[in-house]
Amino acid sequence: MQLTLRHTLRLSLGTPARAVAHVLLTPPSTPQQQVERWSIDMPGIAEAASFRDGFGNRAQLVSLVKPAGELLVVAEGRVKTIDKAGVLGRLQYDPVPALFRRATALTGPDAALLDGLADGPDRIALFHELMGRICERTAGQSQDTAGQSQSQGGDATAADRTHAFLGAARALGAPARYVTGYLLDDGGTAAVHAWAEAWDESLGWIGFDPTLNLCPAESHVRLAAGLDAMSCPPLRTVPVWLDGPAETVEITAG
Amino acid sequence: MTNVDGSIREPYSILDQWLKQQPAEAMGVMAADAEAIFRRLGITFAVYGSNEGTEKLIPFDIIPRIISAVEWRRLSKAIEQRVRALNAFLHDIYHRQEILRAGRIPEKLILDNSAFCPEMMGLDPARGVYSHIIGVDIVRVGPDDWYVLEDNLRTPSGVSYMLEDREAMLQLAPDLFQRLKVAPVDSYPENLRRTLDSVAPPGASGAPTLAVLTPGIYNSAYFEHSFLADQMGAELCEGQDLFVENGKVFMRTTMGPRRVDVIYRRIDDDYLDPLTFKPDSMLGVPGLFDAYRAGNVTLVNAPGTGIADDKAVYTYVPEIIEFYLGEKPLLKNVPTYNCTRADERAYVLEHIAELVVKEVHGSGGYGMLVGPTSTKEMHDIFREKILARPDNYIVQPTLALSTCPTYVESGVAPRHVDLRPYVLVGDQIRITPGGLTRVALKQGSLVVNSSQGGGTKDTWVLED
Repeated sequence: MQLTLRHTLRLSLGTPARAVAHVLLTPPSTPQQQVERWSIDMPGIAEAASFRDGFGNRAQLVSLVKPAGELLVVAEGRVKTIDKAGVLGRLQYDPVPALFRRATALTGPDAALLDGLADGPDRIALFHELMGRICERTAGQSQDTAGQSQSQGGDATAADRTHAFLGAARALGAPARYVTGYLLDDGGTAAVHAWAEAWDESLGWIGFDPTLNLCPAESHVRLAAGLDAMSCPPLRTVPVWLDGPAETVEITAG
Repeated sequence: MTNVDGSIREPYSILDQWLKQQPAEAMGVMAADAEAIFRRLGITFAVYGSNEGTEKLIPFDIIPRIISAVEWRRLSKAIEQRVRALNAFLHDIYHRQEILRAGRIPEKLILDNSAFCPEMMGLDPARGVYSHIIGVDIVRVGPDDWYVLEDNLRTPSGVSYMLEDREAMLQLAPDLFQRLKVAPVDSYPENLRRTLDSVAPPGASGAPTLAVLTPGIYNSAYFEHSFLADQMGAELCEGQDLFVENGKVFMRTTMGPRRVDVIYRRIDDDYLDPLTFKPDSMLGVPGLFDAYRAGNVTLVNAPGTGIADDKAVYTYVPEIIEFYLGEKPLLKNVPTYNCTRADERAYVLEHIAELVVKEVHGSGGYGMLVGPTSTKEMHDIFREKILARPDNYIVQPTLALSTCPTYVESGVAPRHVDLRPYVLVGDQIRITPGGLTRVALKQGSLVVNSSQGGGTKDTWVLED
């Protein structure tokens, strides 16, 4: 599916003499998506240092000298998504999968979620079971992916569910990582989103979206991956912004 | 100084004669002179949690410790082997993790370790060196029988004492240097500068700009930071003196911003850069780590080197040497009990009065138990601590540490010593002959840390 995306963040840093921003707003081309064009517009981006971070993501370090009261960041472009039934496989700059067995403060295991589960030969079935359990448990909660603080890449619900998935998968011995990106839902609403990828020895990385109880296909656009929401937010700044950024995402298909 | 049979060890014979020739009151005068010299040099250190003013004079013993040329050759070869293996280990841990895949070290011990830095994954530092400045703490328990107590690959301190101890001895006993051919140590600052120059990022100009990054005057080693910067002609900076612009690091100077190529940082990983690590750190430089990842500056030592000197990883260093170098370790590890294993824990709990208990992430002699010199109450407290958090402690037997003649109130008496040689790794490996000898000044004490009442003495490596 051909998607045209535009992601806008507005934030205020106050009026420091200098600010720096760590930007993870560059979607990679993968078996699931081909990036046809992409650009980030913000003050200082032309002189930014561009590099790979420890998780294999394309990152930019942007400096802002005497930033204006309001900072506007716009990431936009065209991406063709391809349905691979959630299978991402192996990416060139991926670190060793074992790294994503590291437990973090946000990905503590939940005993209730793990009840009766064990790592076995069919890991994919196990991941589906986990995803299903998380959805079932949170069935009463809103699945509305828009409208909440999105500063950590995905609304609180998606982030919490993804962390629950990661904590459980890692506790079972499976590498699993946090993924940030965009989602175009069935109603045509676009949002910043987050989901998980879990490791299978034969297929590589496979996406699991515990918010929607499905494997990401043509409606998900992947930005970056990390250990948890803290390790790969789309934007991080020093000084920290005063108000959570006002964000809008527009996606049009076709 | 003496052999088991009481005879004088060969390297000490001239010192022994010299000591016997000194008039009775000469030693006391010399000790007083030494104190005056150190006061003038301004060498102090801070003791955390002490009420009597923060700055103290580190006790200095006027009798040097002597190592023969043969002994030193063997020792420095062994140390070089160890630091080569540890740097290879760091490269592997931050790349393909072959040693974990091979099952030689438990994966959890590394990946869930707080000293492991995931942000370092895939980074290739200049010349492939992660830890450039290393201190290896070793002890001698018999003739040519050395053990490594711990490795220090983060920000080892104390090298300024090594240099100043020599400076003081040259003033106090110039005649002894006539009788003995002592390997000089004064090239350390120059070698440090060469090492740092050699690991400048590829884009740096011919003469790279070096900065020493200090947490500031309240740090216990601030004197050393300023001393080393001064000695090697580098700028001493605090975080606020540096800034990152367009992916490069600059120093504020009266002449305007100046690009910095290599930073010898004496700030802990967590506080280096609030953009990547602790967001509330006021000590670091925002954006520094990203500038490092972008290849625009070299951090010395690299973040995440602590995974190689973690006290739990220490027990695997012999494995690490064999895995990467295919060689037998030349230096021994102290046998270490792993309290997470039921059988070893049971032994430890039963024999705690004979053992030394250290916190896995502790340093400076804080939070440790030396069984033989501790009370029953302390033994019980540590038994409970181990039971509560077995993974937080390592336990070792108390070694029969060698002693050196030391001038104390009652005259010259044996006191336990250790040795911290300093290793520089860049275009080549440079080891300063000798190192810092720390001495436990209390009779019978095995704890040499300056924060726990230890002192230092000059270390003489004899030349052939």
